[in-house]
Amino acid sequence: MTVSPESGAPDVLVIGAGPAGVEAALAASAAGLRVVLVDEAAAAGGQVYRAAPRSFTGMTATPESRLGDDLRRRLAESAVETHFGHLVWSVSLGFRVDALAEGGPVSWSARRLVVASGAQERVVPFPGWTLPGVIGLAGATILLKSQHMLPGRRTLVAGQGPLLLAVAIGILKAGGEVAGVVDLASRGEWLATGAALLSRPDLAARGAGWVAQLHRRGVPLLYRQAIRRATARGDDIEVTVGPVERTGGPARGRERNFTVDAVAAGNGLTASTDVTRLLRAEHVFNEARGGWMPQVDAEFRTSVDGLFAVGDGAGIAGAAAAALHGRLVGLAIARELGALAPADHATQSASLRRSARRAGQFGAAMAGLMALRPGQVAGIAPEAVVCRCEDVTRREIDAACAEGVRSANQLKAWTRCGMGPCQGRICGDIASALVARHAGTEPRAGMFTGRTPFRPLPVAQLIKPVDYAELELPPPAPL
Amino acid sequence: MSSSAPSFDVAVIGAGAMGATAALHLARGGQRVALIDRGEICRQASGVNAGTLTLHMTRAALIPYAIRGRELWMDAVNWLGMDVGARAAPGLSLAFTEAEREMLEKRAAARTAMGAPIRLITPTEALAIEPGLNPSMIAAAFCELDGHVTAYLTGRAYRKALVAAGAGVFENTPVTGIAPEAGRYVIRHQDGGRTVARRLVLAGGVWLETMLGWLGIAVPIKCLVNQLIVTERMAPVMRSVVSIANGLLSLKQFENGTVLIGGGWQGLGDPVRGGVEAIPANLMGNVQLARHALPALGESRIVRIWLGLESESPDAMPIIGQLPGLDEAYVIGCVHSGYTSAPYMGQLLAERMLGNEPEMPLFDPARLIGKLEDTH
Amino acid sequence: MNESQPAAPGRCGLREAAVRRGAPVRFTFENRVVEAYEGESLAAALLAAGWSALRDSPNGQQARGAFCWMGLCQECIVVVDGIRQPACRTACRAGLVVRKGTIG
Repeated sequence: MTVSPESGAPDVLVIGAGPAGVEAALAASAAGLRVVLVDEAAAAGGQVYRAAPRSFTGMTATPESRLGDDLRRRLAESAVETHFGHLVWSVSLGFRVDALAEGGPVSWSARRLVVASGAQERVVPFPGWTLPGVIGLAGATILLKSQHMLPGRRTLVAGQGPLLLAVAIGILKAGGEVAGVVDLASRGEWLATGAALLSRPDLAARGAGWVAQLHRRGVPLLYRQAIRRATARGDDIEVTVGPVERTGGPARGRERNFTVDAVAAGNGLTASTDVTRLLRAEHVFNEARGGWMPQVDAEFRTSVDGLFAVGDGAGIAGAAAAALHGRLVGLAIARELGALAPADHATQSASLRRSARRAGQFGAAMAGLMALRPGQVAGIAPEAVVCRCEDVTRREIDAACAEGVRSANQLKAWTRCGMGPCQGRICGDIASALVARHAGTEPRAGMFTGRTPFRPLPVAQLIKPVDYAELELPPPAPL
Repeated sequence: MSSSAPSFDVAVIGAGAMGATAALHLARGGQRVALIDRGEICRQASGVNAGTLTLHMTRAALIPYAIRGRELWMDAVNWLGMDVGARAAPGLSLAFTEAEREMLEKRAAARTAMGAPIRLITPTEALAIEPGLNPSMIAAAFCELDGHVTAYLTGRAYRKALVAAGAGVFENTPVTGIAPEAGRYVIRHQDGGRTVARRLVLAGGVWLETMLGWLGIAVPIKCLVNQLIVTERMAPVMRSVVSIANGLLSLKQFENGTVLIGGGWQGLGDPVRGGVEAIPANLMGNVQLARHALPALGESRIVRIWLGLESESPDAMPIIGQLPGLDEAYVIGCVHSGYTSAPYMGQLLAERMLGNEPEMPLFDPARLIGKLEDTH
Repeated sequence: MNESQPAAPGRCGLREAAVRRGAPVRFTFENRVVEAYEGESLAAALLAAGWSALRDSPNGQQARGAFCWMGLCQECIVVVDGIRQPACRTACRAGLVVRKGTIG
């Protein structure tokens, strides 16, 4: 049964304008629902299809950029009400969404909320990873794609997963030098994804072409290796690389040094769970899909009524799957709210599901390569900073665990790990993995409790000064 | 744990600062103690409160306890074994309106009568102590015995001390019921296990109503859902603990530069679900007050907003003492500014249980409990 | 990394040559003029100008710079016209007065 919303309130609010969010918004809007789409970026595309600033021209088109441009065009042609440059900082049940824009705070109410907040990067700490010039692999991707800029003149690329090659090639194409590609995986592990690669022969061929290109350019490709430490050397960074076991921990063997001015290092993507954790949705753990993710049913409903989570924010599955799943969510909501007849919904979603399954296969294979391995956590050097905001080292975390810490939240209370401005978004997964080793609850010891704001809130933007007499105050405390 | 003889002399249910303090002193007094909590030690109110050691906002009748509690926090290194960040600081309470000035004067008078060194000062004097205050204040009160503690450090400190004292600390051990038997209490755990102790202390904060219910005692416990806000680190902008006479603001800056904003603004939550969510209008109001009192906060960024559950008894006074109609069962909790007084209140109860006369009166639970019906 | 003397614009050559950017703009960072292009993020413009260190960390007083490039890590915090914000999420505009995000 369709119930008319109070005038002004959207039927659906979508947080995140990457492929999942945009497709969900478009599908719901096409069925006649009023949809609001919010994103902190200046344009749609999320991270995977991140647009260059509007003032840039002369970029070479790539398959990704074409998909991104198409996404943005379809969105612009639709009835979806978009709010870019809006940073969502809080969500309440029911739902109320609070955001900050240039002009100040804004809020909306909606009956259905779709969280398509995407993924964030995980980097396994090593001594020196906090040096300026050391950036994430996904961070390097963003810098290359959206700013068309190199991380440095000569960059070492390290970590695990498909971003390695993408970043290395991106650097070469942008006119930079790649000192080497250091991959935790072995060549065999890449080949083992073969069956899944067949589901996306275009991407498989591209990957093979990249490897060939790197060989031609004389870029060393080091498999079963990882960064051991990075040390400042004047304006440069000296990076020490060594062999690792299959489980990811350091192995005996020759170390090798690289002198570079930038390092792009990343160890997989994890779902951004700010909203779903805040709303106390049930989460499940799946290492192969990035770790903690909201529990969702076949139509991406979370355990919280009216709350959907889709795209990489519901578990790493890649951009193609995100788009298809997003459409499924839009259709499901349209059916729920009476804007789409059940028979039409069944027809449209059936073919989507088939395509999504295929797309998911490739995404899953890539996600598997990005999965954290137990040896990587065990191998974190004692002196390595784990919590960058608060400078909490592995050694301090181990000491707290020796005194009795058994969960990530307890670790936070005892050491301040996760209490800084990033609120544990960078260190949380690793911190939880470290605690789990002591608590015997591997692979993780819970998640940091979700709280607002999702990003630090400048007081000056949140509130405008007001005359004291105009403040609405509750009754004073009793004497 | 399920032998016929009680394994423990005392079981303390609830490992907040009240229960943990009582347990610690009992253990040091030679009792075999089990401290049991469904979660982690000192992670509820004791671990998430603002850590304000102020006398300005303490209930007048509790001033002597708060003064003693504050001294104990300052001395934590010696009796607890770890610095929990307790720092003395001047305390300033401000008035911006005539109505607030009146409240200020009444509060100061009531608390001075109970021994708190609070005196009224002029705005000029207040600004000399705290230059960053909003000069539009019209009156202020000053207390030299103020300060703050880093609440989240409490758990680590108590756990270490308890283990060293030989107490059994059983975290992540939810209790589902208590069966009084002759000469002992059988405490049933969610996982099917049992703890058997001769004596019992209920120290469950907002969950005391449930716990008392296990023993057939009905006392409604009000649950306040207090909102707290912390900023990212800032350059030093204040050195005192600041409040407003209406009781709606507490403000302090820690050594690490973060500023903690409190004041009892309410969020949504209950003892079953915990603190669920902040109420945006209340968040704005709290921040407005904070920025009004200390304009430099306009340059800060809020990094986290959370909620803590505070318990209140029907007459808003503590419940500390022996439970009537039961053998060796005690309760401790529902203390306003409970964190400040906890090291002292817990010690007083332990003294009583060890057979000594506590140096300050307790707060007889019997006053809140109706006559138990005879059941034939 | 060296934070005392930024390289002259263009020496680093970090901008992809083929891409034409928006109108040139100038802003200041720690009282030094930085030449950039409209639409670039502050963090990118500063990186291209040789400034990879954007602040010192509060505990260890170590130089820190942009890390995640998506507004999450808070390592690229700078002060722009008095407001603390991530440089990677702030667009370059003419005349901005930018300072390091070091606390105190």
